[in-house]
Amino acid sequence: MAEHSDATIGLPADDEVERRLRYLNFTPEDHARIRDVQGEILGHLDEHLAAFFDHLSRFEEAQGLFRRGDVLDQAKRLKREHLVALFQGNYDPAYVEQRFRLGQLYSRAQLDVGLFMGAFHELMASIGARIVGHFSGDPTAGFAHFVSFRKVAFFDLAVIVDAMMADREQTIRRQQEAIRELSTPTLQVRDRLLILPIIGLLDSYRAKQLTDGLLQAIRAHRAKVVVVDLTGVSTVDSKVANHLIQTVEAARLMGASVIVTGLSADVAQSLVTLGVDLSRLNTMGDLQGGIEEAERILGYADRRGERSAVLND
Amino acid sequence: MTGGTRVTIDRDVDIVTARQIGRQMAAEAGFSGSDLTMIATAISEVARNIVEYAKRGEVRLETASKHGRKGLVVVANDDGPGIPDIEQAMQDGFSTGRSLGLGLPGARRLMDEFEIVSEPGKGTTITMRKWCG
Amino acid sequence: MPIPILKQGNVLIASVQAALTDQELLRLKDELADKVGRFRSRGVIIDVTSLDVMDSFATRTLRSLAAATRLRGAETVIVGIQPDVAITLVQLGLTLEGVATALDLEEGLDLLSRPARDPRR
Repeated sequence: MAEHSDATIGLPADDEVERRLRYLNFTPEDHARIRDVQGEILGHLDEHLAAFFDHLSRFEEAQGLFRRGDVLDQAKRLKREHLVALFQGNYDPAYVEQRFRLGQLYSRAQLDVGLFMGAFHELMASIGARIVGHFSGDPTAGFAHFVSFRKVAFFDLAVIVDAMMADREQTIRRQQEAIRELSTPTLQVRDRLLILPIIGLLDSYRAKQLTDGLLQAIRAHRAKVVVVDLTGVSTVDSKVANHLIQTVEAARLMGASVIVTGLSADVAQSLVTLGVDLSRLNTMGDLQGGIEEAERILGYADRRGERSAVLND
Repeated sequence: MTGGTRVTIDRDVDIVTARQIGRQMAAEAGFSGSDLTMIATAISEVARNIVEYAKRGEVRLETASKHGRKGLVVVANDDGPGIPDIEQAMQDGFSTGRSLGLGLPGARRLMDEFEIVSEPGKGTTITMRKWCG
Repeated sequence: MPIPILKQGNVLIASVQAALTDQELLRLKDELADKVGRFRSRGVIIDVTSLDVMDSFATRTLRSLAAATRLRGAETVIVGIQPDVAITLVQLGLTLEGVATALDLEEGLDLLSRPARDPRR
């Protein structure tokens, strides 16, 4: 399990702490009640931690956490620190970051969110029983103290689950990125001419990537003509169609002309139906025709290559 | 990571300041190349709006996070004359040159979220947000 | 700080920097219009390679600049629009209609040296 350095992605912003505490209606009275039971809980920390980890150990789905001794030790250490911090009552950005890190650890250990919540509930039940027991003569006070603790527990829960989900989303994004890179077409350069064959499904995100890449390539290779071949594209939706038009216009702003080739009758029809003005595109039937047209344009430019001062001095 | 920054908008040089700070903050928040330019441009539009119509106001820039994504919040605020017809002001008149020159529809197109509150005599507040990825 | 304007034969060349204020751009327009008249220039190149933001004001002013110089007999070419700026302009729906654009200074000069009718455009 590799260590990731981009650990801060998804970390809640500082103003979020305030907002989340407001969502839970966390008051100074709650704060005071937490401090009341601090001694009692911290005196039996191992018992409460055991409730959490023993529960997890009973399930296959938590094996990712138990398989490696160092990961488990780190998780136990962090969990212990968390409980201490919870009852110390200082809920600041560092507190949030602490929980966020734990959530990331769980995610990378492939811990199932539902299972985590089950274990978390066991932990709450264990602590809850102790709190209520502490106020055995006064059930109302006991419950009030439990509720205060529960608010902070829910705060923790939200941050940890957010972290697990953010980490998961990131993993998925990375995988998708890797897949996209495999299918990204290579730009072929031929003396100020770029050829961009597009293969496969074209979604908004990929279209944006292609545009960025194309414009950077125009600058890097000083391309004057770009042939974009859509032979390998079977469907285009309105977003992508607009993106195509925008790419053409952006390329023009950079002094390059764009020839679109390989537009099937179907795709051309959908574009027209989508309200795309095909006359704004310079289209040729197939890639070969597009290259010939491009060379004609460049050839014309070369014939005029003598930089004589046509503007009279 | 967070921390709001306020830029007083008084003269045209402040427009440049606001958009440069905005670009910087967006870069720190992890926005990509073209997004940075879009954010800077949107800030330029709303800041200029203040200079041209309200004479004086401020732009507040702050990073935020939502569902694990980082973002930038831009709040442009002024005590100017206000916009009598917001709908009309937000209409797309660029390509035909009919725009009132407000640049606001453009800013909206560049950002993910865009809210405008304005009343004649009560000034204008524009809140826009863009999220990473 | 005024933007320096270079004279290269018939062509006036101005490079704008990143932190371009509205006043500086307006002054550039006036200066170019003036110099085109005085030197009877046939071409103007505005190099925006360093410009990190081109918004509605910049676009309007550049179009107005091109119109002003054309009235005085010179064609204007904007060169060096960066990829991110190009994407943003298009996204904004801003057009530089009526103004020629080229990749860089070399291309801009080449464009100006062509006869008026270029089948490409």
